[in-house]
Amino acid sequence: MTIAFTRRQALATLAVGATALSGRARAAEDVLAHVKSSGELRVGTETFFAPFDFMDAGEHKGLNVDLFAEIAKEMGVKLTWVDLPWDSVLPGLEAGKFDMVAGPATITKARMARYRFSVPIADATVALLKNAREKDLTKPEDISGKVVGSGKATAQLAQLRDYAAKLPKPPTIREFVDFNTAYADLAAGRIVAVANSLPNIAYVAKQRPDVFAVVQPPFGLKSYFGYIGRKDPQYASLMDTVDGLILKMKKDGRLEAMQKKWFGVVFDTPDQVPTPNV
Amino acid sequence: MKFDVGLILSWIPAALAGLEITIAVWLAGGLCALALGFGVAAARRFGGALVDRALTLYVALIRDTPFLIQLFLLYYGGPFVGLELEPYQAGLIGLTVYGSAYFAEIIRAGFEAVPVGHQEAAICAGLTRAQMVRRILLPEMALLVLPPVVNMQILLLKETAVLSIVTVPELTMTLTSLGSEHFAFAEALSLLAGLYWVLVEVTGALGRFAERRLARLSFAA
Amino acid sequence: MTWRYVELLAIGAAVTAGVSIVAILLGLGLGVLVCSASLARSGAVRAAGRLYISFFRGSPLLVQLLMIYYLLPAAGINVPSLVAAVLGLALCTAAYQAENLRGGFLSVAPGLIEAAQMLGMAPWRILLRIRLPIALRLTLPAVLNEAIMILKASSLVSVVGVEELTRSAQNLATSTYRPIPIYAAAGAFYLILNRLLAGGGGVLRRMLG
Repeated sequence: MTIAFTRRQALATLAVGATALSGRARAAEDVLAHVKSSGELRVGTETFFAPFDFMDAGEHKGLNVDLFAEIAKEMGVKLTWVDLPWDSVLPGLEAGKFDMVAGPATITKARMARYRFSVPIADATVALLKNAREKDLTKPEDISGKVVGSGKATAQLAQLRDYAAKLPKPPTIREFVDFNTAYADLAAGRIVAVANSLPNIAYVAKQRPDVFAVVQPPFGLKSYFGYIGRKDPQYASLMDTVDGLILKMKKDGRLEAMQKKWFGVVFDTPDQVPTPNV
Repeated sequence: MKFDVGLILSWIPAALAGLEITIAVWLAGGLCALALGFGVAAARRFGGALVDRALTLYVALIRDTPFLIQLFLLYYGGPFVGLELEPYQAGLIGLTVYGSAYFAEIIRAGFEAVPVGHQEAAICAGLTRAQMVRRILLPEMALLVLPPVVNMQILLLKETAVLSIVTVPELTMTLTSLGSEHFAFAEALSLLAGLYWVLVEVTGALGRFAERRLARLSFAA
Repeated sequence: MTWRYVELLAIGAAVTAGVSIVAILLGLGLGVLVCSASLARSGAVRAAGRLYISFFRGSPLLVQLLMIYYLLPAAGINVPSLVAAVLGLALCTAAYQAENLRGGFLSVAPGLIEAAQMLGMAPWRILLRIRLPIALRLTLPAVLNEAIMILKASSLVSVVGVEELTRSAQNLATSTYRPIPIYAAAGAFYLILNRLLAGGGGVLRRMLG
């Protein structure tokens, strides 16, 4: 399991110079049945998304890691993580490189048209993270006329664009390849704020309170995070099982304990995938 | 998986905007890099042993580390040492410095490849040293270094994709974003590959044209 | 920067070194074939060689890697991460090495090849024993330069799921929110790897010379 193991495997594979093509061809086979028979659930993710998914001094950590460990345990299979830049994660799902995507991703109309979401696991409403030194930024509308950033091709960026267009003097928006480079630029002082979902930026502010602070309240429309799977019929049984297990953990308090551990607060999330506002 | 040609057509205006930025930073960065590289090579040849040693280190340091890391340190690390650069400035400076190390090596090899006999013959024929450099050394060298210079410019063109980490919305950034937003990865990759390929082929053709012209000129002279 | 971070970067550097060296050697071998094709007497073979060089030099490595990893599965070929990484780097560098070697192959004196033919040497032995060593010796600086380029370009293979040095640095930067010292250290690792590669090139030069 975990990414460290894959890396050791990587070295071993190189050492013997193995180049055999080992495909996981599975044309119309039921994916849940395949996961059970192979004894392995493969999950794609990006490790740049604390506190959901990140590497802490080489150790893969976050709410995703805890939650999927429980899912794999309930299913009686081994868990394999595949870490990719976010740009590559959804193409990887479509190419059958893994069975589902952790992420998580904001549940949006456009994504729902293409993919199947799990039931929500956390709130995803977008807010602003500012540089702690920035004294004249106390409410979201204060970004008017300034330079702000977000992750490229993300739901959070789309919300920032909508919000910015409504301000008297629309701010300049810079698009970053991932949220961590945006945080780096915020620390460097070139942008005054980064738009990302509240659980993410609350965590960042808690890690480095001397550098970052959250601007309350969130400016975005109410939205939720879910995990992504495919809509194809052979994936339905797997996604149904994952939904059932998340709801089971919600009922017996495991999800609440994980939210408390990683966000410091518990979110009230609906039991079905809601109709998205965004 | 279906391939949506209509979607590609609808992206063309955005792609051209990205292409314009790519070409602009590439031309500016590539020319500045060539000029700085020439300066470095000349300083190494004519500037004494100490200058030569210092610049050898400069070239090694730049060539042995990835452009991504150099640009990241310049842009995100700069403000901590008082170096405040905007995205385009950082991109341009980064590209100039990165390319200069390669051009310096190409031009150094060019200097060394011009036979000493040609240079001595020119001096014997009564040319001053400055005239010799202008009329013999530089023209002969230009012919020798043109192919590797064009080759390096093509490599620099592809390195401009790295500028996305400092939020410059160049071609790669624009098209990978569109691909993600529309969940159309194959379409985005195909258009991306096609546009770079055209740019590279055009550059290569211009390089070969310049090579032929230069060869004719130097034979005519 | 604690020792734990240096250790994690060193593991990433080992992956970078492993992937790069396999790709450099494979790419050089493939480059010899592509170069021979581009110099072949048959027009069709020559066109195929040229087309290969044009495609792999003309499109970004990032795109080539993503195509191998994501588009080949659509054609029913599923390539694992590591294979995609090594294959992508090798296919790309082969095009550059073919161009580098071309001048060297053209400089081999025809008389030498004719002499070998008269001695009854098979064409592949002439290639391995005579043409390749001479071509390699003449073009070694350019070949080595390309090897360093590909080692640096290997930072792109994280897009197909291989955690190499740059990705390790990014992961560490993420959890510490202190990217600057981590990136500087990663730069130092690249410097060391490339110096080692250049040293290896020096050994090769003495062997050929």
